[in-house]
Amino acid sequence: MASSILIKNEARLGLKLVAPAIGIIGLLVIYPIFFNVYLSFFDVQLNGSKTFIGLDNYSDLLANPRYYHSIGVSIIYLLGTVIGTTVLGLAAAVLMNQEFHFRNIARGLILLPYFAPVISVVFGWQFIFDPVNGIYNHVVVDVLHLTDTRENLIGNPDSALFVVILFDIWKHFPIAYLLLLAKLQSVPKDLYEAAAIDGQNAWGRFWHVTLPELKFVIATVVLLRIIWNLNRFEDVYLLAPNVETLPIFTYYQAFAGIVDQGGAAAISVIQLLVLVGLIWLYVRKVLKW
Amino acid sequence: MSSVILRNVNKSYGNLPIVKNLNLEVKDGEFVVLVGPSGCGKSTTLRMVAGLEDITQGDIQIGDRAINDLPPHKRNIAMVFQNYALYPHMSVRENIVFGLKKSGADAETIKTKLADVSEMLKLDEYLDRKPADLSGGQRQRVAMGRALARDADVYLFDEPLSNLDAKLRHHMRTEIARIQHQYNMTAIYVTHDQIEAMTLGDRVVVMRDGIVEQVGSPMEIYLQPANTFVATFIGSPAMNLFEAKVDGEELVFDKYRIPATSIANVDLNVLASHDTVLVGIRPDFFEDSALSLQRSPSDNLFAFDDIQVDLVENLGFDKEIMFTLGGENAKARLDLRSHVQRQETISLSVDLNRVLLFDTSTQGMLINAGEV
Repeated sequence: MASSILIKNEARLGLKLVAPAIGIIGLLVIYPIFFNVYLSFFDVQLNGSKTFIGLDNYSDLLANPRYYHSIGVSIIYLLGTVIGTTVLGLAAAVLMNQEFHFRNIARGLILLPYFAPVISVVFGWQFIFDPVNGIYNHVVVDVLHLTDTRENLIGNPDSALFVVILFDIWKHFPIAYLLLLAKLQSVPKDLYEAAAIDGQNAWGRFWHVTLPELKFVIATVVLLRIIWNLNRFEDVYLLAPNVETLPIFTYYQAFAGIVDQGGAAAISVIQLLVLVGLIWLYVRKVLKW
Repeated sequence: MSSVILRNVNKSYGNLPIVKNLNLEVKDGEFVVLVGPSGCGKSTTLRMVAGLEDITQGDIQIGDRAINDLPPHKRNIAMVFQNYALYPHMSVRENIVFGLKKSGADAETIKTKLADVSEMLKLDEYLDRKPADLSGGQRQRVAMGRALARDADVYLFDEPLSNLDAKLRHHMRTEIARIQHQYNMTAIYVTHDQIEAMTLGDRVVVMRDGIVEQVGSPMEIYLQPANTFVATFIGSPAMNLFEAKVDGEELVFDKYRIPATSIANVDLNVLASHDTVLVGIRPDFFEDSALSLQRSPSDNLFAFDDIQVDLVENLGFDKEIMFTLGGENAKARLDLRSHVQRQETISLSVDLNRVLLFDTSTQGMLINAGEV
């Protein structure tokens, strides 16, 4: 009996302690989500007046070819950036786990792109790919003579998508690197020694020791990257506003040209549902939480 | 199986020498134990054989292959690690056959080896578990199994029992001895536990500060230690050492005069060149003079009379008594037939055939090696 009273008290204390957090999350996250769902059923005017139009926003959206195009762009963007950052992060982590001179400095320098402000590095990248003065065209055309024509890689939406992917990989691989390196350092040395004794060369040790040990961190990195990049706005918009990933498309719907906040809300609702479904599957099947 | 030969092997980290000019030959099928206190270089030596540490100087050979520059995965060795180093994501079964598979064994061989090993180490019911779901003793057995499943030239053991509790350690020690007799493997076994060294080794290598102090069979090491370090390191409680004056043919300390002529294998000429010597008597060789024990004619008893007992520790069959002799704290191990009490004054006898003499300055043994 006494123990059940203790448990009850404990539970009550727990509730009290999480109450402020629940309040803040409710205000900042839950409320906007529900408001968003609510908005998606209305035709919203700039002056704030709303007309209920049922599922019209959804049917308009599903009939809009630009919507499907942006889904396609988003999928390529996600695949490229998630795989790119994870692989590059893993490679950097494995490299930085070796012993060499100035390792600590190198470990720190790798983080630079991650904490550099987006706005300033974006200008740098735009300058690199500038068709007239950019170093990219200078190297490709004038130095290596690979082609005669100077390309405006960022101006063309098709090639701009790949510049945006490259930029994201460069900017965000340090977070993958950081998480993977932290785990890598805690892999017991004697596992590698045991694998070497069992006849495994360096590649075999990576495959049979490093990868299995990193499995959950890699899966977590992938999960985080999917969540972040499905919603990624500023990097894409600032570098190449002509690359229409879902968030960019949503923004154009909501705030540019024909302002259609109801339509934009409908996109977000679908995106939220897809994301929640994806993550649920991923957590269940891959992370096995 | 193969022999292992270490020739003038040196290892140093920067300027710090860890192993100094080590020479050792482990014969085919021989079980050699490296024993010594922490930091004596025994583990480093083992890891050099394994290829986990490079060799600063010298040569190591397995069979007729020079292996200095071979990476560990090409040396065909098997090893049991102190912390087991089991692959956490693999089941017990996968752990055991991992190296075997890599070595290119066919499915049939893998199956029979796995069955053999798991039966011998009683792992049958755990084969599908992950290491995390096993107790320390079970993990240790899996680590043993992983090594034994391999058809390696030499088997290396790096303090494999040091993480087990006393009872399990004793059990596994017997198991290893049994397996060794069954497989007749070439093995190098590192331990700081002198009981493991004594019970497992065909030969024991006692090391200190990177130097081999003595190599010999367990009984040679016990009965004819090369110096005071080996004498006090092997054997528990440690050997008593008393400094004695050499007075003609007698050794004098406290009020006792031991006739040196009665000590086995003493060279009186050598003795005459020393002013003092260290007299070494193992606690095990003291007897309670009050007991009328069966004597053999070769016994050569000397009695230390008027010994004041400071403390008695009853250990069941044995009892350890502490007393002062020649100004030194000394210990004797008697058995339960003796009824010695604390503060009592008693007489302890010792068979002078078992008494050892060491050089006071070099600490080396002064008695010619005889039959063990």
